[in-house]
Amino acid sequence: MFRLPTIHIGKLTLLLSILVWLALLFVDLVRIFGIINSLESGISNEITWILEILFFFTLYFFYSDSIEKNKQKDFLNLIWRAASTGIFASTAAILVELFYFSLGDSKLASEPFMKNFFYHVNFALTTIFLISSALLWKHLILYQKNKQVVKQWQVFEFALLVAMFFVFFNKNNLDYSFIFGLVILIIISAILSGNLKWIPYLTIKEKWKSLLFLFFILVSTGFLFRRFLAYSNAEVYQVNLTDNLFLVALFAFIFLYALFSFLVTLFNLPTSSVFEQKLTEAINFQRLSQSIKPEENEEQVLDILMDSCMSASYADGAWLELQTGKKREEIVQLRFLDHKTQEELSERIKALSASGKNQDSSKELEPQNFRLDHPKFESALIIPLEVNNSKIGKMILVKEVRDGFNKEMIGIVSTFSRQACIAVENHRLLNQAILNERYQEELKIAQRVQKALLPNKLDHPDSFQICAYSNAADEVGGDYYDTFKLDEDRYVLIIGDVSGKGTSAAFHMSQMKGIFHSLIQLNLSPAEFMIRANSALSKCLEKNHFITASIFIINIREQKICHARAGHVPTLFYHAQANNSEFLLFDGLGLGILRNRKYENHVQEKEFHYSSGDILVLITDGIVEAKNQKGQQFGFGRIQSLVEIHKDKTPKEIQNQLIDSLHAFVGGDGMIDDDYSMMVVKFLPDAHQDKKNLY
Amino acid sequence: MLRLEKTKENSFDILSLHGEVDASNSVQLDEVIKELMESGSKNILIDGGELEYISSAGLGVFMSYLEDFQEKEINFRIFNLSPKVSEVFKILGLDQLIPIHSTKTEAFAG
Repeated sequence: MFRLPTIHIGKLTLLLSILVWLALLFVDLVRIFGIINSLESGISNEITWILEILFFFTLYFFYSDSIEKNKQKDFLNLIWRAASTGIFASTAAILVELFYFSLGDSKLASEPFMKNFFYHVNFALTTIFLISSALLWKHLILYQKNKQVVKQWQVFEFALLVAMFFVFFNKNNLDYSFIFGLVILIIISAILSGNLKWIPYLTIKEKWKSLLFLFFILVSTGFLFRRFLAYSNAEVYQVNLTDNLFLVALFAFIFLYALFSFLVTLFNLPTSSVFEQKLTEAINFQRLSQSIKPEENEEQVLDILMDSCMSASYADGAWLELQTGKKREEIVQLRFLDHKTQEELSERIKALSASGKNQDSSKELEPQNFRLDHPKFESALIIPLEVNNSKIGKMILVKEVRDGFNKEMIGIVSTFSRQACIAVENHRLLNQAILNERYQEELKIAQRVQKALLPNKLDHPDSFQICAYSNAADEVGGDYYDTFKLDEDRYVLIIGDVSGKGTSAAFHMSQMKGIFHSLIQLNLSPAEFMIRANSALSKCLEKNHFITASIFIINIREQKICHARAGHVPTLFYHAQANNSEFLLFDGLGLGILRNRKYENHVQEKEFHYSSGDILVLITDGIVEAKNQKGQQFGFGRIQSLVEIHKDKTPKEIQNQLIDSLHAFVGGDGMIDDDYSMMVVKFLPDAHQDKKNLY
Repeated sequence: MLRLEKTKENSFDILSLHGEVDASNSVQLDEVIKELMESGSKNILIDGGELEYISSAGLGVFMSYLEDFQEKEINFRIFNLSPKVSEVFKILGLDQLIPIHSTKTEAFAG
């Protein structure tokens, strides 16, 4: 495939400018040839001028392209480019002069062709120097530009463009219009030369270098201009290329800007250290404000803090004391001091602050300035570091001079330390947040595990329906319920509640489940079950914890229930035939309260018959004690009346009614701050009995 | 909120409970009872007249001292409980272990 070669502007313009220069040279040589041989060459001056302008343009484009490409923000490099070009052009001019000087009065010295050739070489080199320097100045002027400066520059460029064509109008005579044009251009140049914002950004070393380069530029400009004047007075050159408003104006511009830069740089030298200092402070401040990443440590921040404070206050030594334990202080950073000196200084400061009048604690968190009677260090500055209103340590800066810390230094140093403290605080908070997140995750796992401790399927025969519900106040809770099938006729219901709530309750709950599961296998009576459970739990419950539980053994063949209660909230029993309900309250001590054999005296057993339609509602105290906004408890009465109202519904419906009413009672966003659980059992008409009744 | 008030009548140390005892403040109750016990008091009476509610954590505090009371032969009695709070003690069965009286005079008489 044929592809168009990409046009390389730099190379193209360079080639063009060389060609134009050669053409210019050729035209002039032809003209001289004509004059010498008294022939009318017929080449008008305009052709030379057009070629000259073309030469300017091609050079302009070449250099603007080349400078754009090497767009370094390094000002020194730019100035060096201008200076080197100037030196080169001047050297070439000097060499030419030396060459002619060595020729002396020989015939070759007055050879017009050669003279003209060297004239053109000098012209070309000077023009290159002027145009390239002007474009480099443009970069410097437009550093940190604003709209106004850009406009000024555009005006200047436009004026230069006009000046280029001025030759057609003025025929290169030094008349008033020339001077007028020159004055205008010089004024604009002077205005532009006020834009020297780049100078403060140089370091001292760079400033010295730039002074040298600018000096070179000034000298070369002056020298080249003198050469130009010499040419314009000579009559040998048929068409004067150099008495050009454009070039003269550029001379003025280059010279003025270089001079201004030189002077301003020179006068900036003494203040530049202050500027550098402020710049470092700003950078340090930024480094301090960047928050520390979680995997990094606080030490880096303290390191930056020390560096910044020392450089900001020109301190000769410093150390940092961090409070690690309650009273202990640890020296973590020691700068330009040995341990012995540090201890000596520390002793003196302690003595001074103890004898000082400002004993009140409010002053303790402010920087303190001391005079020391140490042989080497004569002043000290103490900056306390505080995080979250509590002191985490202090930084001590020392200096060899007396009263070495002024107000500005103290100001900047305390700003630094505040910023560092904020960074440290953020770091700590972030770490804490991450830790909390992890705990939350752990609790979620615990929640899942605990959910698995509750049965997902409840054992029951066809002759009763059953459902259960449990909700923990926190992620995990201490409520427990379960069902067991002892044999074909006997089923067990259990509900339990660990005192307290949350994680500790959850652990006891799992112990309770283990104990209940093993005891239930032993085919014990309800009272015996509780006695054994009490003795087992007594060994593993914390001192001030106890468990309440209720157990029901349902014999479906005999339609009989045997029940024991160990301090648990009484169960509601709805009696369908009598259409009334009661809470089954009788003696029964909670598990783990009496941790000896005497417990046997405090547990009872109740046996009663049930019939179809009867309902058992097992609950935990979280429901009874749930409070509304007025501080009233849900209580037993509400449960009782709700069950009586909804007695004909299924256990699931009754349960939902109870839960909904409970939430409605507590209020929209009210939280029930205890675990609560319930189990609802409803006895159905027995299939066998129904058949008997039918026949 | 729980406010505890200690008074002394004859040889009886009376601890009045005002407000609610729950998991967050049961430690206060625990500390006061411990103090009374360590001060060598032989008769500790709890005035529950102003006690509005006691959670299982609060009951746990009383429960945890039962053995100590027995060992050191300390008379520990509760009186003046509201019906609601009294019922909580009854449900848990603590009324079988701690003498609960309706009035202060009864409690004094034992």
